[in-house]
Amino acid sequence: MTDISASPAGKSKGSSLLELDSRTRRRNAAERRFQIYGIVAIAIALAALLMLLVSIFSGGSSAFRQTFATFDMTLPAEQLDPEGNRDPAEMARVTTIGYQNVLRAGLVAAVRDAGIVPDGVADADITGILSPEAAADLRNRVLANPDLIGTTVDIDALVHGRIDGYFKGRVTMESAVRDANITPERLQIAEAMVENGLMSTRFNWGFVTKPDASDQRPEAAGLGVALLGSLYMMLVVLVLAVPIGVAASIYLEEFAPKNRFTDVIEVNISNLAAVPSIVFGILGLAIFINFAHLPQSAPIVGGLVLTLMTVPTIIISTRASLRAVPPSIRDAALGVGASRMQSVFHHVLPLAMPGILTGTIIGLAQALGETAPLLLIGMVAFVRDYPDAPPEGLFDPASALPVQVYNWTQRADPAFVERASGAIIVLLAFLLVMNAIAIILRRRFERRW
Amino acid sequence: MSFNKLTVSTLAIAAVYATGAYAQGRDQVQVAGSSTVLPYSTIVAEAFGENFDFPTPVVQSGGSGAGLAQFCEGVGENTIDIANASREIKDSEIETCAANGVTDIMHVRIGYDGIVFASDVNGNSFEFTPADWYKALAAQVVVDGELVDNPYTTWNEVNPDLPEQPIMAFIPGTKHGTREVFEEKVLAAGCEESGALEEMTAMSDEDTAEAACVAVRTDGRSVDIDGDYTETLARIQSDPNGIGVFGLSFYENNTNSLQVATMSGVEPSTETIASGEYPVSRPLQFYVKKAHIGVVPGLKEFVTFFVSDDMAGPNGPLAAYGLVSDPELAQTQAAVEAEETM
Amino acid sequence: MSVLWITLIVLAIAAIAYGVSRRKAIEETKGDVRRLHSLPSYYGWFSFISSAVPAFLVLLVWLVIQPMIIGNRVNDALQLPEDATIVQGMAATRDARAVSVALDEALSRGVLQQGDIAQFAADPASLGPALRDADIELSVIVTPQLLDAARVYSSTVSMLNTLMAIVVIGIAIVGAGYAIRRITPDFRARNVVERMVMLLLIGASVIAILTTIAIVLSMVFETVNFFRQYPWTEFFFSFTWAPVFQGISQLGLLPLLWGTLYISAIALAVAVPIGLFSAIYLAEYASKSVRSVAKPLIEILAGIPTIVYGLFALITVGPLLRDWIAQPLGLGSSGSSVATAGLVMGIMIIPFISSLSDDIINAVPQSLRDGSLGLGATRSETIRQVVLPAALPGIVGAVLLAASRAIGETMIVVLGAGAAARISGNPFEAMTTITVKIVSQLTGDTDFNSPETLVAFALGLTLFVITLTLNIFALYIVRKYREQYE
Repeated sequence: MTDISASPAGKSKGSSLLELDSRTRRRNAAERRFQIYGIVAIAIALAALLMLLVSIFSGGSSAFRQTFATFDMTLPAEQLDPEGNRDPAEMARVTTIGYQNVLRAGLVAAVRDAGIVPDGVADADITGILSPEAAADLRNRVLANPDLIGTTVDIDALVHGRIDGYFKGRVTMESAVRDANITPERLQIAEAMVENGLMSTRFNWGFVTKPDASDQRPEAAGLGVALLGSLYMMLVVLVLAVPIGVAASIYLEEFAPKNRFTDVIEVNISNLAAVPSIVFGILGLAIFINFAHLPQSAPIVGGLVLTLMTVPTIIISTRASLRAVPPSIRDAALGVGASRMQSVFHHVLPLAMPGILTGTIIGLAQALGETAPLLLIGMVAFVRDYPDAPPEGLFDPASALPVQVYNWTQRADPAFVERASGAIIVLLAFLLVMNAIAIILRRRFERRW
Repeated sequence: MSFNKLTVSTLAIAAVYATGAYAQGRDQVQVAGSSTVLPYSTIVAEAFGENFDFPTPVVQSGGSGAGLAQFCEGVGENTIDIANASREIKDSEIETCAANGVTDIMHVRIGYDGIVFASDVNGNSFEFTPADWYKALAAQVVVDGELVDNPYTTWNEVNPDLPEQPIMAFIPGTKHGTREVFEEKVLAAGCEESGALEEMTAMSDEDTAEAACVAVRTDGRSVDIDGDYTETLARIQSDPNGIGVFGLSFYENNTNSLQVATMSGVEPSTETIASGEYPVSRPLQFYVKKAHIGVVPGLKEFVTFFVSDDMAGPNGPLAAYGLVSDPELAQTQAAVEAEETM
Repeated sequence: MSVLWITLIVLAIAAIAYGVSRRKAIEETKGDVRRLHSLPSYYGWFSFISSAVPAFLVLLVWLVIQPMIIGNRVNDALQLPEDATIVQGMAATRDARAVSVALDEALSRGVLQQGDIAQFAADPASLGPALRDADIELSVIVTPQLLDAARVYSSTVSMLNTLMAIVVIGIAIVGAGYAIRRITPDFRARNVVERMVMLLLIGASVIAILTTIAIVLSMVFETVNFFRQYPWTEFFFSFTWAPVFQGISQLGLLPLLWGTLYISAIALAVAVPIGLFSAIYLAEYASKSVRSVAKPLIEILAGIPTIVYGLFALITVGPLLRDWIAQPLGLGSSGSSVATAGLVMGIMIIPFISSLSDDIINAVPQSLRDGSLGLGATRSETIRQVVLPAALPGIVGAVLLAASRAIGETMIVVLGAGAAARISGNPFEAMTTITVKIVSQLTGDTDFNSPETLVAFALGLTLFVITLTLNIFALYIVRKYREQYE
């Protein structure tokens, strides 16, 4: 191209259409720069996302694996059912402490039988391998099926968080010396148990399904209750926030008279979006709990608070996309005899759908990740019992996924760091599932005219 | 149009359930309050849920002030039963409680919390006295009879026995009860011990001097932590010169990344704190609404279980986690049994 | 009959009313639908709404009142003393319900017969063991009064439930009948239905207003309380924020306000260019497949919990800025700084700007672009001079939303910028925001009646007023610079 256009170039400025004059070149360069800015912007955003995701996944993927000790033992009837009636009500008198002793004795026997215990190691070093949760699990198993007593059963017990940490590289022999919760001997025995097949690290569904556990049992903590709580709250938000937000936007954008009063409402709504989320917690405490007497820690209250918090976001994005629908569309509909209501619902609303869905995605993402408003209505809590199925379950105490992340990052045991990152992965997965639906819908509605 | 119709019916159904299902009572104990007491409460709640026929109590966090505020909101099923606190309830709070009908309050002390000073495990070791901390952190110190802005930048300037390391302290923010203990038992004590209190009293009056003792420098060498101990730990990991204030239980769980400093020659442990040798500690407690006993199932059992020797005793799980058990636990048990109120 | 069933029956009645009215409207015109005033389905919807809405409203009110009536009757049966507290009353109702539920269970399983219950009245203590034999839990001690109360409870409940079903379903039927009778070809069904829908839309908008009122109300009392204990001049004009436990705190707003504005400004300075350019590229240049992948990916940024950003700021960005920029330039050695928090927060709010702006740019009519391009403008010129002005109100809305999010954020600020209140122009100093202090004063260990805690409400209300002013300003700007096409 330069070759062809070379000859006329010298004569007069812009004499040939095939030749680019300096102004055109400048404009084309500006055009290229403009495009590059866009690519760079997207690259920055995606790089930040990548960095965050890598840090989350590298820290959290190990939370889905857990170390278990597997061995056989006979459940002694004299300790677990002193009356001998196999009556669960009587057997319930044996507490987890009793079960813990039984379980420990079983482990000591199993490990000593395997001949992997170095000389001079006390029983306490073997028994410290097990998690306190193991005894509770065994107790529940026996109470559910009293006939197990006296028989030989397979035990699949969680091991102590420090041992689990050893296999995940969090704990070392050196750090074990300084640590009151673990001794190097226990780590050695654990290693020998792995070689003998008595212990293994494997995928742990319990992390997703089990309830939270106390600070002493990081190995047993799970997300079950939090997942249900978040799910219930999102249902409430979806059912309330989206219709209310869309209805309010339609009224404000399409029907409300444009006057000072509408301005007040408009400013008022964008102001609501700027209200810090904890203020919605204050509101929730005052209105839903103290005034309406709804229960504490309940997903219904959390859902209502998050609804109020999300509605402005949805209204703002919905109004913006309604406004972006060209007036010609409305005029055309009105011109063929449609009422204003019909023109809005049949023509404008479908065209504004992508924007509405974007607002919904962002609003729900925000609602799903918020902890602060839940702080004052009692949902930032330690909850171990699963809520019932809705609708009654909406009134049972539950926690939420971001709450679980927040709680776990506050706990002293370093094992919770990994679980917090794992919880974030689950939260993101939850978000992706929610978004995927909205994104598919958005792509169906997207069009240009 | 059908979209709107759908909306009407879903709204109506949701609202109907909202009121309909909430005709039932609450069957689990509700606890709220101090984040320092929270881990102990969850440990007991978990064991309680496992071994009793009652549901596991729900334990909220959010700070002593917020917990007591909820506690004093009134009586009834949508108010909490127990408020955890890392400080004692104030008179003004008792008045608010009474105004809202919360009158019979049981005060249950569960043990003591040790407050320790710890630094990065690979750095220098420290042996502090309260006077060192006062000199290192005071906003103004007395030098040659004059009050000047704190000039010290390294620990060995404060006390030649300490290593040469820049002063960088992560202390609890003013929202934490720990800050009060830190000011009272470290800064004020150090102020007196170093003789600065006397000198400053001579310069002005006693109240001003006492306030000056606990005024912390704001030039960035002392950083207030409004978060929790995990934040302090993260800050030490990002700045290895830092020295942080922690709870004993937090330190005991993180011995692989932290080393503890002695205070006046005493190493903090549950034993030295229980005997009173280690000076920086405070009582932990919770408050129980007596009106809810017999109404909320399991409340009395939970409180009794909490202070039982199996839980709060020196060999119980709480002590294993770092709670300094109360030498007078037997009296607390008797008071709980008798449902004694304040 | 349970609430669920009543709901379903009412909906069924309404649905039948819909069908009947629609058909009636068509039949009345003898097949010539053009004679109808409105489309046939409007007649159907008119009947549907007339039948379902009043019924559900009554149901709602009923469900609120019913527990109160039951509680009263049970308490009467138990002969509670006049001065019984609310708690005692609730406990009594609860026990009565427990007994009643256990008895119902026993009856339904055939463990007890209706006649047996009368026998237990003489010896109520034996009821518990009898039920326990049948594996029915009953943890309360049964007294004769309680047994009476339980029977009152169950009879009241069943009576009220039946009554409720009859009344609600009756209203639904009456409403349907009334609506169907009104249907003639001349009946302006569409106008009526549209008016009803309009009411609904107005109701939804009012919720936003109600929320604002509720927020102000829930904070205003505590704020007044605060200003009773603390001079307002100090609060608004003091340059020091130093709360202390002993109660001689200095609670000046200005350092917090400065930190809030500074951090938000940096965050927007990061997010607006990145977000806007991403949006422009996605909407105008990117191929369909790139757009469909990149947009949802960027949206994930909004969904990552803020604690992740906070830790990212504290562990990665903070030391990076300190070691590479702040220290070489001699601007301090603080690991947490306004710049750190602003930068990280900026990343978090990118999707608020990029996604919303993208939708809005995308919705600008293609004819505008075609016109501009036809005149010989390059694509970037078209975007800058035609598309963006047309999309301006929406973009400003998106930026406002992003700014709102920045102002309301806590975790990133706490971990990234620290908790120290300070006024300084140096972006590498630690500062903090109003929102952070609202959260920390509310969740601290301080006395909840003291100014140190109550200041949170004053801060919240002040922030509310400040953002309100900013929003009014933004509205004014949009009005002034908006280019309206068509």
